[in-house]
Amino acid sequence: MTITALKDEGKTMLSSVAIMIPAFNEGEVISQVISEIREACDFPIFVIDDASTDDTILKAKKAGANIIPLPAQLGAWGAMQTGLRYALRHGYDVVITMDADGQHEASALQDLLRPVSQGVADVSIGACTERGSFMRKFAWILMKKFSGLTLEDITSGLRVYNSKAIRELAGWRATLLDYQDIGVLLLLQSKGIKIADVKVPMQPRLNGKSRVFNSWMMVIYYMCQTLILGLSKRQLARRYHRPRVVG
Amino acid sequence: MASLVTGCIGLLVAFSIILLMRKDKLHVSHGLGWTIVAVAFTLLGFVPSLFDKFSAFLGIASPPILALTLAIAILVIKILLMDIERSRIELRNQRLIQRLAMLEAEMRSKSRKENTASNEQRLNSGTKNQ
Repeated sequence: MTITALKDEGKTMLSSVAIMIPAFNEGEVISQVISEIREACDFPIFVIDDASTDDTILKAKKAGANIIPLPAQLGAWGAMQTGLRYALRHGYDVVITMDADGQHEASALQDLLRPVSQGVADVSIGACTERGSFMRKFAWILMKKFSGLTLEDITSGLRVYNSKAIRELAGWRATLLDYQDIGVLLLLQSKGIKIADVKVPMQPRLNGKSRVFNSWMMVIYYMCQTLILGLSKRQLARRYHRPRVVG
Repeated sequence: MASLVTGCIGLLVAFSIILLMRKDKLHVSHGLGWTIVAVAFTLLGFVPSLFDKFSAFLGIASPPILALTLAIAILVIKILLMDIERSRIELRNQRLIQRLAMLEAEMRSKSRKENTASNEQRLNSGTKNQ
């Protein structure tokens, strides 16, 4: 079943879906990423340019994406939130977020959209726990222990948000977060938003670089910040939604 | 002699703060707190016995220890307040940057639509003329 078919089923509010891709210096791969998405579906694609210094904007525009150009660098989450705020402002009901590095397969969107379109969840996360090194998996365990989250892949950027989740994440409370993992998920959880894991395949990065796991200093800073955030925002009472793993 | 030096430092700080406020380099709301600090500094500088009496009242044997502890506590509170204020400013700054990006995206989309419309209009008028 194609995404158009999913749309035709009329199960949902898939009438206005936008794809948001935050990008920083992804000029080498952005065209390919956009082309693959365009082959898989006809949803409007927005590239939120996080003040790139290369030709990301030009390439993305050429490939057919709409550009939301940030005048100053806000980081991955800041850029993503800009996309969500834009979507809210323009009446999009569902937002799909993807990374610009080619890790996420457009063919997985169909499975990812289903829990949200069927009303099973407000947010679905493309989970691929097979990816990543031993250190990344160890980091996931620590993050889950500290935050109390039980989701499969808490760092995945491949997500679908419905309007309820978009409204929560467009607010000022989410603005001071630096990353889209623990802080965002705990915020959604505290608002009673249902989150579902959907198992999806993922590819290695096309450009081979991670913005977070770029250097050891960055990793240490990221881990310390994320663990403190997880501890401080952790729900004391275990009243959170137990996620359902789909697929 | 020591009290004269500390008193003079207090006066100098107070004078600098008022000068900074006069030149609009320091916001009045921040200047107020620093003026209080400078006045306290001057007062305790010229009359250090005030602190001795205060220490004796609290039952602390060594007045300089009390002075240092109080100074550190005040500095820590001030730094904490500064970080709270900085977080607020960062929040506003980030929301503004996002808003600017959204407006630019809207402007681009509008001008693209206008360009397409005017191109179509030109094409139509060209066809009619032919």
